[in-house]
Amino acid sequence: MFLDLTEEQKLIQDTARDFARVELEPAAAALDQGGDRSPLLANLKKLAELGFMGLNVKGEYGGSETGVVSFSLAVTEIARACASTAVTVSVNNMVAEVIQAVGSEEQRNAYIPKICSGEFSAGGFALTETGAGSDPAGMCTQAVDDGDSWVLNGAKIFITSAPYAGVFVVWAVTDKEAPKGKGISCFLVEAGTKGLIIGKEEKKMGQHASATNEVIFDDCRIPKSALMGKRNDGFRIAAGELAGGRIGIGSLGLGVGLAAMDYATRYVTERSQFGQKLSNFQAIQWMIADAYTELEAARLLLMSAACRKEFGRSFAKEASMAKMFATEAANKACYSALQMLGGYGYTQDFPVERYARDARITSIYEGTNEIQRLIISREILKNIS
Amino acid sequence: MKTLLIGEYREGKLLESTCELLGFANQLGAETAMLLVGSENQLPVYSGTLYLADVAACGEYNPGLHKKLILEAVQKESPDYIVFLHSSYGWDLAPRVAASLRIAQVSEIVAIVDGGFEVGCCNGKMRRTVKPATAQAVLTIQAGAFPVLQPGGSPEIRKLSATDGGALEFIGYEAAEKKDVDLAKAEVIVSAGRGVGKKDNIPVIAALAKALGGEMGASRPVVDAEWVSHSHQVGTTGQTVSPKLYVACGISGAIQHLAGMKKSDFIIAINKDKDAPIGEIADVLVVADVMQFVPALTARVAR
Amino acid sequence: MKLLVCIKQVPDLESRFKPDAAGVWYNETDLAFRMNEYDEYAVEQAVQLREKLGEGTELTVLSIGPDRVVEALKKALAMGCDNAAHIQDPAASGKDPWQIASIIAAYAKDKGFDVIFTGMQSQDRGSAQVGVTIAEQLGLACTTTIVSFDYDNGTITAKRELEGGIKGVVKLKTPALVTCQLGLNVPRYPTLPNIMKAKKKEITAIPVVELLREEALATTASFHPPAKKGGGIVLEGDVSDLVDKVIAILKDKTAVLR
Repeated sequence: MFLDLTEEQKLIQDTARDFARVELEPAAAALDQGGDRSPLLANLKKLAELGFMGLNVKGEYGGSETGVVSFSLAVTEIARACASTAVTVSVNNMVAEVIQAVGSEEQRNAYIPKICSGEFSAGGFALTETGAGSDPAGMCTQAVDDGDSWVLNGAKIFITSAPYAGVFVVWAVTDKEAPKGKGISCFLVEAGTKGLIIGKEEKKMGQHASATNEVIFDDCRIPKSALMGKRNDGFRIAAGELAGGRIGIGSLGLGVGLAAMDYATRYVTERSQFGQKLSNFQAIQWMIADAYTELEAARLLLMSAACRKEFGRSFAKEASMAKMFATEAANKACYSALQMLGGYGYTQDFPVERYARDARITSIYEGTNEIQRLIISREILKNIS
Repeated sequence: MKTLLIGEYREGKLLESTCELLGFANQLGAETAMLLVGSENQLPVYSGTLYLADVAACGEYNPGLHKKLILEAVQKESPDYIVFLHSSYGWDLAPRVAASLRIAQVSEIVAIVDGGFEVGCCNGKMRRTVKPATAQAVLTIQAGAFPVLQPGGSPEIRKLSATDGGALEFIGYEAAEKKDVDLAKAEVIVSAGRGVGKKDNIPVIAALAKALGGEMGASRPVVDAEWVSHSHQVGTTGQTVSPKLYVACGISGAIQHLAGMKKSDFIIAINKDKDAPIGEIADVLVVADVMQFVPALTARVAR
Repeated sequence: MKLLVCIKQVPDLESRFKPDAAGVWYNETDLAFRMNEYDEYAVEQAVQLREKLGEGTELTVLSIGPDRVVEALKKALAMGCDNAAHIQDPAASGKDPWQIASIIAAYAKDKGFDVIFTGMQSQDRGSAQVGVTIAEQLGLACTTTIVSFDYDNGTITAKRELEGGIKGVVKLKTPALVTCQLGLNVPRYPTLPNIMKAKKKEITAIPVVELLREEALATTASFHPPAKKGGGIVLEGDVSDLVDKVIAILKDKTAVLR
C-alpha cells in the first residue's frame, strides 16, 4: 500500500489551495453577509476555466480527466476558503458526471461542455421535494407523455444554484402505477424553459453565497429528447450518482473542519490567559488532538472511497461512511474551534463563526447522516443474511 | 584588514546610504578606501582614498563598466573585502565582481559575528552565519543594519576611467507611481486608535506618518467611527501588515489588531495605560498621552 | 529561439524552521515545498515570451535538487514550458550560490539559449547571486529585479525596480539573462487539463556529477533563529525626555531616521 498522492494530484491540490487562498478566501466573509453574488459567479467562471467543473469528466466533453481523488482534494481545498463555492463546484461536477454516465451522445455534447467551461455558472440537481427528502422515491412531480413532448408538473425544493443554473437534471414520476421507485424517470430541463419557475430562495443558517431555491414546474413542456437514460429507470440513476456526490460533500466537510481547526490552533498559540498561552493548557491540547485525529481519519476514508470509485470498484458504502464520518468530524471540529476562541469565536470578527454555520448542513444534505447509516448497515447486512 | 567600499549615486545625488558602508567598515575595524561613480560636486564626507569615476562618462547604471572600474581599484588596493549595499545597485553589481575574481560573496549581512557574517534567510525568519572560503570576498550589507557614519574630512581622490561596449544600455528613470494608501507596501505605518480621542485629532497622527515617510493606519474602532476610511484599517478585518516600523498611537491592542501588525520589524506603542496589551508585543511602550507626545515627536522628526 | 527558465523549490515560508543535524540549514522534515515565488514570475514571463514567439521556440525549465523538485518542474510544464531538465542533486542545499550557478552554466553552455530567466532571489536562501553569476560565467548581458519585460527582434527592454518605487529602463541585446521581481506579472494557475498533459512532456534527468566542476567559495557555519527580542522597553516620564529617547531609539534600531 502506498498512501501518497501522485505528482499530478499534488499539483491539483496546490493549485486549488493557491486559488482558494488568493481568490476565494478574501471574498468569503462578505459573500456570507449576503447581497451581491457577483464575486461568487466570477470565481465560479475562473474555476471552470481552470478545469474544476469536470474533474472526473472526459476531455472530449471539456472535462479535465483528473479522476475522483483529485475531485475530493479540490473540493476540500476550496471549502477551506469558501464552503458556498465548494458546494457549487461539487454539485456542478455531479451534474456533469450524471449526464456523462447516462445521457445520450447528443445530451452530453449539448450540456457538459457548457458546465465545464463555465458558460453555465452551474448545473441543477432537482430531486428533493417537500414530501420526498430522505425518501426521494416518494416524489410527486409528474412527467406526462404528450406525444412529441413531456409535460412536467410539480415542485422541487432545496435546489442548489437554481437562479444561475443553465440546466437542471430533474426527476419525475412517469409511471404512477409502478411499485415505489420503479416509475421515476430523469430529464434535462434548460433554464428559461417556459413553465420552469425559480421559486423563493431559502434563508439559511450558513453557506449563504450558494443559492438554495424552490423550483416549480407549471405545465413545463420539454421535448421528447429531454428524457435522460431509460424511461422509469431514473431512481437507480439518482441512487448511483448521489453516492459520488457524497464524496464531494464529505470532502467539503473536511475542508471546513480543517479551516476551523487550523485557525483555532494558530489562535491558541497567540492568545494568553492566566499568564500563559492557551496552547499550554491540556484541555486545549486535547481538543486539538481529537479534532485533527478525526479529520485525518475522515481524509483517509474519503481517499479510500475516491480511490475505489476511480478504479471502478463498488464505492457506495465507502462513500456513505466517508460522508457521514467527515461531516460529523467537521461539525465537532467547528465546535471545538469555536470553543478554543472563546467569546471571540462567537463573533463575526473571526471566521470560525462562519465555518461553524457552514459545516452544519453537511451532515444533512446529499443524504442525511441517518440515511448514510441506513445505507452502510444495509450494505453490511446484505452480505450476512 | 582593508575594505573597498562601493558608494552609490543616483539621479545626480550621492546616496546617504553610502555612509552605512562606513559604519560597517568601522565595526569591522578595517581600513577603508571607497569607489564611487559620481561627481566631484558631491563627495562623501570622509578622509580616505576615493576612487572616483565620472558619472557623466560612466553612467549611473552600467554594470559591465562599473565592474571594470571596481576591478581596477581592487588591483590597486588589494582589499580583503569589497563591500556593497544590498540594494538594486549592489545586488546587481556585486556578483559580477565576485565572479570575475572567483571569490566568495556573502549577501545581505545584518551583523558581524565571531567566525563570519550573519545573514538573514527564510524571509528573515532565520539567520545563517556565513564564512568566505576565499582570502578576498565580496560583501553586501543590509540597508539599515549598520549605523550611518560620517567621519568628516575630505577624500583623497584618485580618478578612474574605463570604456565599455557592453550589450546593455541604460535608457533612464521612471518616476514612482502615485497611489492611494497601500499599507501592505508601506515601510512605516503610524496607526491611530481610540486613544486619539476624536476625529479632529486624526491629522496629528497623519502628520507623524508623513514626517516618518510612512502611511497612516488605524484600528477598527477608529474606522467604525468613520474617523478614517476602511482602506487604513489594520487587523483581522482590515489589512495584515509588516512594516519596518509600526507606531501604534492610542491603540490598546485588541487581539484582532495585534494579529494584523505583530509581524512588524519594530513596534513603538504610545499609550496612557502601562498595562495595555499592546505592550506585550511592542519593542517600546511610551507611557504618555498621545495628544501630548505625538505632536512633540513629529516636531522633532520633521526637524 | 531557445529559452531557459531556472527554478528552485523552497519550503512554504509560513513554516517553522528548525536547524538540521549539522546545524547549517533547515531540517526538511514536515515542510511543504513549492515553487520559489520569484521563479513563478520568471516562468510566467518565459511562457508569455514563448507564446508570443510561437512555433520554433523551445522553452526549457531547469531545477537542481532531490526528486521532490519534479513537482515544481511539472508545475512549470503545466504552465507552458516545453520540456524540463532535472539536475539530480540530493545535496543541493549544501552548495553555495557559486556552485549552483556553475552547474547551470555548465548545463547551458553549449545549448545556445537566447534568453535565460531566473527569479531575483530564492525565498529561503535569499542570496540574490545565482542569476547574475550564471550570466557572468556564460558571458551574457544581464539585468536584475525586473518588473517589466518586452522582447523585440533580439532586444529586451526591461524596467528594473529601484528603491522608493522608481524604475530604471534598460535595453539588452540577446543572448541575455534577466532576474524577475514581484510585480513583473501575475503568474497563471496551471489549468487541470494542462497538469494532466504535462505528464507527457519530457523531463531529462541529469546527475549533478556530470555538471559540477567547482568547489564552494563560501561555507555556512550555522543556521539559527535570530536572537530573541528582549521584553519591550517601557518609557515613562516627561514628554520632552520621552521624545529624546524615542528619537535615539529610532536612530539606533530602525532605518527610518538617520
